[in-house]
Amino acid sequence: MLEIKNLSASIGDTQILDDLSLTVKAGEVHAIMGPNGSGKSTLAQVIAGHEDYRVTAGSIDYRGHDLLALDPEERAREGIFLGFQYPVEIPGVNNAYLLKAAVNAKRVHHGLAEIDAFEFLQAAREKMALLGMDPKFLNRGVNEGFSGGEKKRNEILQMAMLEPDLAILDETDSGLDIDALKAVAKGVNAARSPDRAIVLVTHYQRLLDYVEPDFVHVLSGGRIARSGDKSLALELEAKGYEWVREAANA
Amino acid sequence: MTQPNLPVDVLERAVLALPQDELSDARSVALQRFKQRGFPTLSDEDWKYSDLSNVIDISRRSLEAAVAGRPADRAWIRGLLASIDAAWLVIANGELLEDLSTALEEDDIEVSGLQPDTGARDLDDPLSDLNLALLREGVSLCIAADRMAARPVGLLIVDSANGAHAASQVRVDIRLEPQAAARFVEYHASSGDGEHYSNTFINFVAGAGSRAEYLRFQDRALHHSQTARLNLHLDRDSSIRHCGIDLGGGFVRNDLKIDLRGPGAAASFDGLYVAAEGQHVDNHTRVDHRVGPTRSEQEYRGVLSGRSRAVWNGKAIVHKGADGTDARQANHNLLLSERAEIDAKPELEIYADEVKCAHGTTVGELDEQALFYLRSRGIGLARARRILTRAFAATVVDKAPVEELHESISHAVEQKLRAFDSGARP
Repeated sequence: MLEIKNLSASIGDTQILDDLSLTVKAGEVHAIMGPNGSGKSTLAQVIAGHEDYRVTAGSIDYRGHDLLALDPEERAREGIFLGFQYPVEIPGVNNAYLLKAAVNAKRVHHGLAEIDAFEFLQAAREKMALLGMDPKFLNRGVNEGFSGGEKKRNEILQMAMLEPDLAILDETDSGLDIDALKAVAKGVNAARSPDRAIVLVTHYQRLLDYVEPDFVHVLSGGRIARSGDKSLALELEAKGYEWVREAANA
Repeated sequence: MTQPNLPVDVLERAVLALPQDELSDARSVALQRFKQRGFPTLSDEDWKYSDLSNVIDISRRSLEAAVAGRPADRAWIRGLLASIDAAWLVIANGELLEDLSTALEEDDIEVSGLQPDTGARDLDDPLSDLNLALLREGVSLCIAADRMAARPVGLLIVDSANGAHAASQVRVDIRLEPQAAARFVEYHASSGDGEHYSNTFINFVAGAGSRAEYLRFQDRALHHSQTARLNLHLDRDSSIRHCGIDLGGGFVRNDLKIDLRGPGAAASFDGLYVAAEGQHVDNHTRVDHRVGPTRSEQEYRGVLSGRSRAVWNGKAIVHKGADGTDARQANHNLLLSERAEIDAKPELEIYADEVKCAHGTTVGELDEQALFYLRSRGIGLARARRILTRAFAATVVDKAPVEELHESISHAVEQKLRAFDSGARP
C-alpha cells in the first residue's frame, strides 16, 4: 500500500529525514518509535502533505501512485488519514459540520452521493459511544476547549467516520490518562482490518500494550535504525533509546 | 495638510432656518461651542487615521443647497422593517416617521421629543455639538421602572440620497429606569446614488439594576458616510451587552463611550467589521471605570479585503479608587489582502490598585495549521479558506445580543463574505 524509498526531507535549512525507506502493506499495523527529534512526526506530516516540509530526495508510492504529487486534500480523499499529535482548535466551526464535510468530500471524490443527515448522525453517535464520547461534542467548535484526551478521542472519531485505507496516528497516546488511552486503543483496534494499514507513531511502549503491532521500527537521526516485531518495543522499553543510538553508531 | 471647513455664515444660516422651539437655546449654545472647536482634524489623537474632509464637504454642500428633505422611500423602508420583529422608531433623513413607528403604540415604551435640559448633556465632542446645532427634532424614549419590554425596541436610521448632497443629524436619548429590562436594535441603512453623511448621537442612561441588550447593525450604501456615537452611563448593578456590526458604508466612524459609574455595573461590548475595497471603518471605544467593582469586556474582530482600512482603538480608564475593576479587551483582524490596512491600538490607563486588566491584539492571515488540518480531512483549499473566514466572523455573531437576530445577521455577513470568495487574490 505504502512504499517509501530513500526519503529525505527538510524544514527550512534543517534536514530531518535522511534516506528513510519503509514498506507498509494492507492489514498491517506498524509502530514507529524513537526519541524526540528523530523525525517521527516529520514522517507523518510528509505523508499527509504538510507544505512546510520539503522533500529533497526519494519517493513515496501509495497504491501505485506518486503520493508526493498530490495535495493534502487529495491524499485524504484517496484514503490517507493523519491523526494529529496536536489537534487544532477551530472555534466557530462546528464539530459535526467538519465531520460531515470531510465524509462528503471523500464520497463525492469517489462518485458517491452525499451522506444522508440521519445516517450521518446515527453513524457518528454509534462511534462516539464506542469511544466513550458525549454526543454533545458534535455541536461544539472543533476541539475548542477540549481536554487533551477529548482531542485525541475526537481524532479517532474522525478516523472511524472517514474509514481510511491508511491511518497514521501521530502520538495519539501522548498525554492521555489510562481511561482515555484504553478508549483510543479500542478505537484503533476496531479499525484494524485486512484492507487497512495503520501506522502508530509513538514515543512510549504503553499504547502497544493495548494495540499489538505487527512491526516495530525505531527511528534515529531521520532514518530507520532498527526494525523488528513487537518484542523490539519491549527491549527498547528496557534498554532505552541510547541503546539504539549506540548500536546505530557502532 | 489643510482640511476644508464649514464656513461659519453657512452654518449660522442653517441653524437660524430651523424652527424656533424649545430646543433653540440648546442649539445656539452647541453652535457657539462648535464654532470654537470646528471639526476634528488628523492632528487630533483620536482622529489621526480618519480624515473627515469628505464629510465636511458633503455637510457644506448640503447646507448651501438648503433643500428641504426629500420624501423617504417608504416601500424600501417597509421592506427593512419587515425583516426584523421589533417595536420601531423610524428616523428617515433625520425625521421621525410617525406612521411607520410602531413603538409609539407600545405600552412598555414612552416616547417623547428630546428634552432641552437632557439634550444638552454629555456633548463632549465637536460632532455631538454639530449634531445638536443642526438638529431638527430629537427623540427620547424611556422604559419605566421594573418594566420589561417584550419585543426589541428598534431604531431604524435610514437615509435616501438621490442626486443632491445631503446630511442628516439623528439624536436619540434612551433611559432605562431602575430595574427595567429591554433589548435594542439600532439599524442603519441607506440608499440612493447621491452623496450622504449621517451623524448620529445616542445617549443612553441605564438606571440601577437595569439590564439591556443592544445590537447595532450598519449596512449603509458603500459610498455613504457615517459618524455614530453611543454614550452609555451605567448606574449601580446595571448591565449591558452590546455588539456593533459594520458591513456597509464608505467612511464609517463609530464611537462607543461607556461610563461605569455605579458599583456592580458591567458592560460587554463586541464588534465585527467586514470591509471590502474602498471602505474605511473606524471603531473607537472608551470605557471609564469610575468606581469598583465594575466589569468591562470587549472583543472586536475585523475581516478586511481589497484596499480597505480599519481602525480599532480601545481605551480603558480605571479611575482612582475603582478597586475591584475587571477590564478586558481584545481585537483580532484577518487580512485577506496585502493592500488592506488595520491600525489597532489598545490603551489602558490604571490609577487604582486592585484591578484585573488584560488586552490582546492580533493581525494576520488565516491560520496555516488550521488550513492544513481541514485539508488533511479532504476539504479543498478554497473551501477551507471560506470555512475559516466565516468561523472567524461567527465567533462574534454567535455571542451577539438579541439572539433572534443571529440568523439574519449571519446571512448578511455571509452575503458580504461571499463577494470575497470569488474576488481577486492580492
